[in-house]
Amino acid sequence: MERLAARWLWFVEHWPRAAVFAPFVPLLLSWWAVAEIEIFPPAFFPHPLEVLRRGVELAYKGVLGAYLEDSVLRLAVGAAAGIAVGLPLGLLVGLSDRAHRTLWPLLLFFQAIGDIAWLPILLVWFGFGLTTMTFVIVYTVMFPVLMNTALGVRAVPEVLPRAALSLGASRARVILEVVVPGALPNIVTGIRNGLGFGWRALVAAEIIVGTSGIGFMMFDARRAGSVTEVVIGLVVLGVLWSIVDSWILAPLERATGERWGLVAR
Amino acid sequence: MKELLVERLSKIYFDPDRGERIAALEEVSLRIAPGEFVAVVGPSGCGKSTLLNLIAGFLEPTSGRILLDGRPVRGPGPDRGVVFQSYALFPWKTVLENVAFGPRMRGLPKAECHAKAMRYLELVGLAHVAHRYPRELSGGMQQRVGVVRALANEPEILLMDEPFAAVDAQTRMTLQEELARIYEERRPTILFVTHDVNEAVFLADRVLLLSKGRLREEIPVPIARPRRWPRLVEDDDFKALVARTLSAVRAA
Amino acid sequence: MTASAEPVRAHRRARTGAIVQAALPFVLLLLLWQGLVAGLQVSPLVFPSLSAVVRAAGQGLRDGSLFLHLGASLARVAIGTAIALLLAVPLGMAMGVSRAVAAFFTPLLRFFSVLAGIAWIPIATLWFGYGFGAIVFVIFNAVFFVVAYNTLLGVATIPVELRRAAASLGARRWSMVREVLLPGALPNIVTGIRTGLGFAWRALIAAEMIATSTGLGYMLFLARDFYRTEVIVLGMVLVGCTWLALDRLLLAPLERRTIERWGVVRGA
Ligand SMILES: Nc1ncnc2c1ncn2[C@@H]1O[C@H](COP(=O)(O)OP(=O)(O)O)[C@@H](O)[C@H]1O
Ligand SMILES: [Mg+2]
Repeated sequence: MERLAARWLWFVEHWPRAAVFAPFVPLLLSWWAVAEIEIFPPAFFPHPLEVLRRGVELAYKGVLGAYLEDSVLRLAVGAAAGIAVGLPLGLLVGLSDRAHRTLWPLLLFFQAIGDIAWLPILLVWFGFGLTTMTFVIVYTVMFPVLMNTALGVRAVPEVLPRAALSLGASRARVILEVVVPGALPNIVTGIRNGLGFGWRALVAAEIIVGTSGIGFMMFDARRAGSVTEVVIGLVVLGVLWSIVDSWILAPLERATGERWGLVAR
Repeated sequence: MKELLVERLSKIYFDPDRGERIAALEEVSLRIAPGEFVAVVGPSGCGKSTLLNLIAGFLEPTSGRILLDGRPVRGPGPDRGVVFQSYALFPWKTVLENVAFGPRMRGLPKAECHAKAMRYLELVGLAHVAHRYPRELSGGMQQRVGVVRALANEPEILLMDEPFAAVDAQTRMTLQEELARIYEERRPTILFVTHDVNEAVFLADRVLLLSKGRLREEIPVPIARPRRWPRLVEDDDFKALVARTLSAVRAA
Repeated sequence: MTASAEPVRAHRRARTGAIVQAALPFVLLLLLWQGLVAGLQVSPLVFPSLSAVVRAAGQGLRDGSLFLHLGASLARVAIGTAIALLLAVPLGMAMGVSRAVAAFFTPLLRFFSVLAGIAWIPIATLWFGYGFGAIVFVIFNAVFFVVAYNTLLGVATIPVELRRAAASLGARRWSMVREVLLPGALPNIVTGIRTGLGFAWRALIAAEMIATSTGLGYMLFLARDFYRTEVIVLGMVLVGCTWLALDRLLLAPLERRTIERWGVVRGA
């Protein structure tokens, strides 16, 4: 046992990339075994091979690709809009004491209402369609970006803008060259959180509003009682989001945090 | 107090980045008599911490033996008290609870543990901060707590790994004098690791020179106790010994 | 005593001032709302007037339906979270204790905590049918993986010197867990609970919209069927206020206090 642990640690240290995937092998094997001996009826617990076969089939037919494209596109557009709105507002709220005092409680409240609770009234206003979904995602992404930007701006040490001002920088330049870079680690954290909530909101919206997308595919399959496609959806979402989070967002957060020296204390 | 015996101790690390083996310690043998104060000096990277961590039981030797009172050492245990460079106080426990930790692990009743911890805190003049949390204390005070936490557990031997390296110069001298005083009063067995030659000669009865994983030289320190800085900075024997040790470190 | 009364009074005045300051934007918002809806003669099918929402609230309080829905939602969250915590904390600690085991479980927990919550609604309703079981499962799932992952991280990032210090002071397995690993991981655990509950609360509202006939989510979604915008807005306010109370009055202070009191100073 001890030798096995030592071997495994050696592997983790030498092949960190591969070691991330290794634990999924026993997980898949257990899934296989449990499905093989049919502890649960196959209608509830699909066989991994069946999931793979159906997944390949759906991909081949182009259904999976089309739905994936729909979901990702919605998220990308919604997130871009959310960031475009949230960032400047966050700067404003962070820079002005008065704006901060009056708006912060309101922001907390509207953030607390949360994306999904907006769905019913959005459905009343816009019906089952793209507008509703986009609104939900923009709303979800906007708040974490806005609030983290404001926090970041307020956390920039006072000496930095002062130093820049006394070096002759104009106020606009101070904001652009001192405040925004100083707040960048927080901004990136806000974007990461916003996207984390955003894609969940997207899935919920697709389930409830559903006309297309991975969430719609899963719920549609659920209505038809087809567990295989539900699991395909779960796997696709998990893999997709793991890639986005650990290969793009987390390194970005780490890079900005490290470069600006705010991580190590 | 028991005798510590280290026989032909070696430790080989594997460095995954460069894919090569590092012999951090090679065939080191030493003996520490009960009540003796031994310092190990050497430049950073020479294997001091490795030696100490092996004796503490935090690491497994590649080869060789460590015997305390004739019994082989296996894993960490309360017979060897450790003082860390980074203090290693439990931040979620008060100073008193930190010092009482060892006695409590031995199953002593709580009231007794606290009384004992209080006595040890008085030893270093810290009774008044007993109910504070470590982070509220200065570095020097935190390390005093670290020292008495190890002492309060009444170990056979005290292992100290550059315990005063992280505090400012003034405080360091005070802490060294305090440790000298405690040693003179109670005569615990101490293995003290440092890269500071002054510190080693000031504190120890015997200084061992470690270089590139091997013991090179042994320098006895026949300077009378009590040892205090104001006297020793003037003392020619002390100065000569420091100079001799320093040149030995450079030559090694 | 008279000497100390003055600062107390000043303190109270400052507190009252702060409350007024926090309330003022809301009062303005309510006034604006009432003014706009009346002034522009907005149809109640598009957006309700303030008074209609207040009436709906009164109605809901009188017939008890508000308590029914709020109670159902809170009960589901409480049960799902309790089960999740009971399992996640011990498991996360066990996984974090050894470096080899932690390295094995970290990618798995990461994968599942990235997926936690809403995405499980379809399969939950398939496994447990529409109703209580499915919703509690979704809550459980949202909290469990996030908390287990954070617990593992918390234990794994306890400085090695602290574990060594405890071991050389004579701590054995259980005292190590109780006195070092649990308190050392606590700030991470609480952060995990806060994040997990954030996912869980949203997942709850979504699940209640499709999988049950009680709860705030159901109340919202039912009202949509009848274009009862005043009930929808009331539901939104309730969802917001409940989460705000949960997060700001319970979770955020808990997180702050554990980090202040128990936190090891470590790189972010
Ligand atoms: N865990 C480890 N893995 C690989 N090499 C190590 C490890 N710990 C220490 N070393 C190497 O062993 C040598 C001795 O280290 P150490 O005992 O910490 O020295 P010192 O305490 O005297 O500064 C150094 O070259 C160091 O880089
Ligand atoms: Mg060292």
